[in-house]
Amino acid sequence: MKRKLLSAVLSVAMMATLLVGCGNSKAPAADAPAGDTAAKQEAAPAGDAEAAPAAEGGNTLTVWCWDPAFNINAMKEAEKVYQKDHPDFTLNVIETPWQDIQTKLTTAATSGQLDTLPDIFLMQDNAFQKNVISYPDAFADLTATGIDFTQFAEAKAAYSVVDGKNYGVPFDNGAVVAAYRTDILEQAGFTVDDFTDITWSEYLEKGKVVLEKTGKPLLSCQAGESDVICMMLQSAGGSFFDAEGNPAMTDNDKLKEVMNVYSELVKAGVLVEVNDWDQYVGTLNNETVAGTINGCWIMASIQSAEDQSGKWAITNMPKLENVDGATNYSNNGGSSWAVTSNCKNLELAADFLGSTFGGSTELYDNIISTGALATYLPAGSSDAYAAPSEFFSGDAVSKKITEFAGKTPSNNTGVYYYEARDAVAVAITNVVAGADIDSELQVAQDTVSFAMGQ
Amino acid sequence: MKEKKKKFTLSQKHNATGWAFLTPAALLIVIMSFVPMVKALILSFKTGVGANMKWAGLYNYARMFQDSVFRQSLFNNFFYLIIQVPIMLVLALVLASMLNNKNLRCEGLFRTMIFLPCATSLVSYAIIFRSLFAVDGFVNTVLIKMGILNTGYNFLGHPWSARIIIIIALVWRWTGYNMVFYLSGLQNIEYSVYEAAKIDGASPFQTFWKITVPLLKPTILLTTIMSTNGTLQLFDESVNLTNGGPANATITMSHYIYNMSFKYVPNFGYSAAMSYLILILVAVLAFVQMKVGDKRD
Repeated sequence: MKRKLLSAVLSVAMMATLLVGCGNSKAPAADAPAGDTAAKQEAAPAGDAEAAPAAEGGNTLTVWCWDPAFNINAMKEAEKVYQKDHPDFTLNVIETPWQDIQTKLTTAATSGQLDTLPDIFLMQDNAFQKNVISYPDAFADLTATGIDFTQFAEAKAAYSVVDGKNYGVPFDNGAVVAAYRTDILEQAGFTVDDFTDITWSEYLEKGKVVLEKTGKPLLSCQAGESDVICMMLQSAGGSFFDAEGNPAMTDNDKLKEVMNVYSELVKAGVLVEVNDWDQYVGTLNNETVAGTINGCWIMASIQSAEDQSGKWAITNMPKLENVDGATNYSNNGGSSWAVTSNCKNLELAADFLGSTFGGSTELYDNIISTGALATYLPAGSSDAYAAPSEFFSGDAVSKKITEFAGKTPSNNTGVYYYEARDAVAVAITNVVAGADIDSELQVAQDTVSFAMGQ
Repeated sequence: MKEKKKKFTLSQKHNATGWAFLTPAALLIVIMSFVPMVKALILSFKTGVGANMKWAGLYNYARMFQDSVFRQSLFNNFFYLIIQVPIMLVLALVLASMLNNKNLRCEGLFRTMIFLPCATSLVSYAIIFRSLFAVDGFVNTVLIKMGILNTGYNFLGHPWSARIIIIIALVWRWTGYNMVFYLSGLQNIEYSVYEAAKIDGASPFQTFWKITVPLLKPTILLTTIMSTNGTLQLFDESVNLTNGGPANATITMSHYIYNMSFKYVPNFGYSAAMSYLILILVAVLAFVQMKVGDKRD
């Protein structure tokens, strides 16, 4: 009996040790999925603190961004540029998809574990205000760090300004381009010049002609997303919110005009709605449509159909009528670099960003081949930007787009931008199905007001 | 006397061993599951943006009733529940009793084929359904070729057709899963019962309703509760198949909770409160089903 009791006690003891063992190994293991990244970045800043006095200027910064062909490449090029003057400088770039960055930021900020954040990360412009206002403790103020923000396109820099303070260094350009299939336009008797500096009603009329003669709509977009609406709205300097950040969808002449134009385009068949992103890109690559209007990053998708080289051309988008401040320029998408409050060496991070993304035309020349168009205005005047693009009918598209970016009116995304976008997407879906614009905008306004009343 | 003492230690020892085996798992469940649940409950009584939370009592719960998007999502969830769960369970039951036929050949093959959809990931099957029902997708192409339609119908662009597609997708994905439960339940029914019924001249229909269904009651109850639970927590199909659209016509509660936490300005208090409402709904429905299903004669 005694022996049995002993064995029972021993097995309990074994369980206990196992459990303790589990508990111990659990702690690092739990961190691990959040990344080898978490471990790495923790090592990195700790590394600098010790290394800094030893090697003058020798430092490491950790960066999160998501696209190996695009923004990760840009960061690596920036590292090379910066290393010319600071040979000891190294970057630790960790590939992290945007969705993951958002989730990690939310987790870190809500749990107070800000030390899990990197020094610098890339943030979607549309999410910038929301995150800085929701988690003010997670971001470093860059206003007084010597970065010259006046060198960036104003509309672009405005995304990362909260309460007059700069929290981000603008990166890629989301200037809107209208891309057209010149061969299809030709069949309908048009050239790209007929679509340059036009209004939406001219666009609609010409679109009807193109549809009639070629059977192809001029424009496609994703149903349930309000990208096209937002682009039209911003082109006239309009917003979903007023200056105080209150929703301003009712009594908003610009928005009402946009909704009108959009539903007319759909009803005429000039604008065709598809259900998801792949189908949208498919309409471009499969010659289903004669053109598109989107942020200039769409050119990468257009160019994936290599056999269409030379058949595309780029110009500005149509402008709204009957409203003040209408232009042919707008913005869709883009991202900016944010520095976190976890950055132990803010001076270095600011100097690095300021002298590369905010001060080196050389950097932008190096990354232009990947389609990373600068919002840093001086970059637009360099030779690399004037080089013609064979795909887009031999046009100097990079230069053109940088010019577009400089003429884009700024808009007020507000904190509740995503709520507003979705509410307006619901409204436009119903309007296209036959509902009344005013009452749908009222519903959208109520939805956003409701979301804001915490 | 001595014997009594021995017995006491024996049961004590058994208890100790039992506890020793139970403790690790129980502790893990408490730490990983119950602690977060309690924390979420506390969170649901707070309000605020992001990390700046303050106490708000039952505000979040009252707020839900004024939220038109949430009401819409609640309606959608119950629509899926009321239409899809009965169709799926009846279909699973019919398939299971067909496969239980002793004279059936290639039984394993059919069983595997019907169960196979369950092995596909939720996201990938949702994406496949989305492309199947696209305007220029497979289904439309077939319908046009057969002369039923002239141009492609935008299935996912209309509220009711989009909801029906979600139901079709759910039935495809989960029927086999429930069928397996019924099959294993059927294995426990003596075949002689069926033989006796046959001798007494019962039709297959009568056999099904008078023998199979009553004897499978516990399994049917289990699958009903599981399906109710699963349907109320539906997420992947809403996100990947329709993205909640058109105009929130197919959005589910979980999808809305996700948007509220990660897409929109984070309002975790409200999200937690909505999650608790789902819990309450699931608990109430399960309770009702158990009361209804557990009528012992």
